[in-house]
Amino acid sequence: MKQKTEYGKKAVLSIAAVGISLFLLQRLLVPKYVDDVVEGAFIREYYKEEKDFDVIFVGDCEVYENFSPAVLWRDYGINSYIRGSAEQYIWQSYYILEDTLRYEMPKAVIFNVQSLQFENAQSEAYNRMTLEGMKWSPSKVNAIRASMKPEEQFLDYVFPLLRYHTRWSELTSSDFAYLFRTKRVSHNGYYMRVDVKPAENVPEGRPLKDYSFGENAWKYLDLMRELCKKNDIQLILIKAPSLYPHWYDQWDEQVADYAGKYDLAYLNFLELADEIGIDYSKDTYDAGLHMNLSGAEKLSGYLGAYLTEQAGMKNRKGEEKLCEIWEEKLEAYEEEKQRQYQFYGIKEDFNERSSCD
Amino acid sequence: MKFMQKREKISHGKGKGMLSVGILCLCLLAGCGKKEESAPAVGAETDAVETEEMRGAAEENVKEAETEETKDIKETGYVFESNGVKLTVDMNMEGILDRLGEPNSSYEQPSCAAQGIAKIYTYSGFEIETYPDGDADLIACIVLKDDSVATSEGIDLSMTKEDIIAAYGLDYEESETSMVYEKDGTKLCFILDGEDISSIEYDSPVLN
Repeated sequence: MKQKTEYGKKAVLSIAAVGISLFLLQRLLVPKYVDDVVEGAFIREYYKEEKDFDVIFVGDCEVYENFSPAVLWRDYGINSYIRGSAEQYIWQSYYILEDTLRYEMPKAVIFNVQSLQFENAQSEAYNRMTLEGMKWSPSKVNAIRASMKPEEQFLDYVFPLLRYHTRWSELTSSDFAYLFRTKRVSHNGYYMRVDVKPAENVPEGRPLKDYSFGENAWKYLDLMRELCKKNDIQLILIKAPSLYPHWYDQWDEQVADYAGKYDLAYLNFLELADEIGIDYSKDTYDAGLHMNLSGAEKLSGYLGAYLTEQAGMKNRKGEEKLCEIWEEKLEAYEEEKQRQYQFYGIKEDFNERSSCD
Repeated sequence: MKFMQKREKISHGKGKGMLSVGILCLCLLAGCGKKEESAPAVGAETDAVETEEMRGAAEENVKEAETEETKDIKETGYVFESNGVKLTVDMNMEGILDRLGEPNSSYEQPSCAAQGIAKIYTYSGFEIETYPDGDADLIACIVLKDDSVATSEGIDLSMTKEDIIAAYGLDYEESETSMVYEKDGTKLCFILDGEDISSIEYDSPVLN
């Protein structure tokens, strides 16, 4: 009997040891997204926040590279967060919004319509960057199911070790350093770049066989609209002023018609670029694909005024706790600005302002 | 984004037993180390592992393979010809650029999160779009933009749907605004404006 108990104990200990080892291996092998490719860390960063945002952005790189929540706070007292990720598909935006509403009820949701062009996921790598960061919930399960390409397996999302076991030969010191912790890589979801690459030779869009958005895209836009309506949230559709990939007039008409039909706001910033003062020779870091800091701050200034005047957002700078949070965030924002200006050898007129001015 | 890089000391585990089990598991997993699929790119993270020599040798191999590939132009599927240079989709652009000459303009479209760079080369009358495939840029599509160029079968933008059928036959997929012919996986698409042709496009299967 005693021998059996001993045997049982050893078996349990062995199983536990293997389980712990596999867990540690998984922690070690999954990409940390703390060095060059930080975009994979954006979605998970949200969970560390004090969740009391007035405005939530969802969408692809056209939200996280073009809008600065720091400016919305600094100039308008609007507390916002960007839940954007690389090539975030519309069904992912919907489930990320659903996931967000488990924690808080924002007053407005801003969705960038660029992703309406996709009916299916285009890349497993982008799926991973968006989905792995979500906390487990029915929303995440549904997001994975809606996103998986035919060659993907659901189990690989449950046990990422199955997906990343071949990464053992690519490990770097960061994989060890960030085994159990992460570092902040965005500014409320905003990815900052201060460098400049003027937009030149931007190609025209090539003619398409069919300009209609697909059924799946419309389905998730409907779901997003209904979810917002049910929760008394304003849904604001936007098209960021990115010059490429081309935004076709035919696409724009469909979105404008949809917005008109359901009484939604739709801001096409491509058309507003001149009014906002976007200078594509200075305000983009990748030849018109995304804004740099200068462009993002101009755009955010315009959006802040719109949200205040047209969407009824209140200035919350009177809230002490929020001010303290933003004081720290703005400090980190300014520090990174300076670090990048120094790195790229760029000079700027730096006027530091307090978060509660 | 080197300004973001931050190196920290590697933490060391304490339990030798645990370490042994971990190493055992790592060895087991390493057995699966043949890379059938690559993990999402994580940028410069490979730098710490690969030595300069290893990388140099790998680059040499890739270049050799590319040169061979460029020499042996596969003329399967539809072929477009410009000034004696034959182009098909999925061809490596490396050798093509030298032979086609300087484009009128070019544009790079780095994908989000460093997943490669798509490139667009504009020549008189046509445009070539590429997609990244490892270190190579392969042709994703060739778009004929005006009637100064024509397909190898003689169709240009000044012609009509009737001319297309006369040249390519009736085996095509039709939608309201397009006619698509398929050959060896490549697609030749005619975008129509009524009976007229508004654009001609050679598409790689990667665009499906």
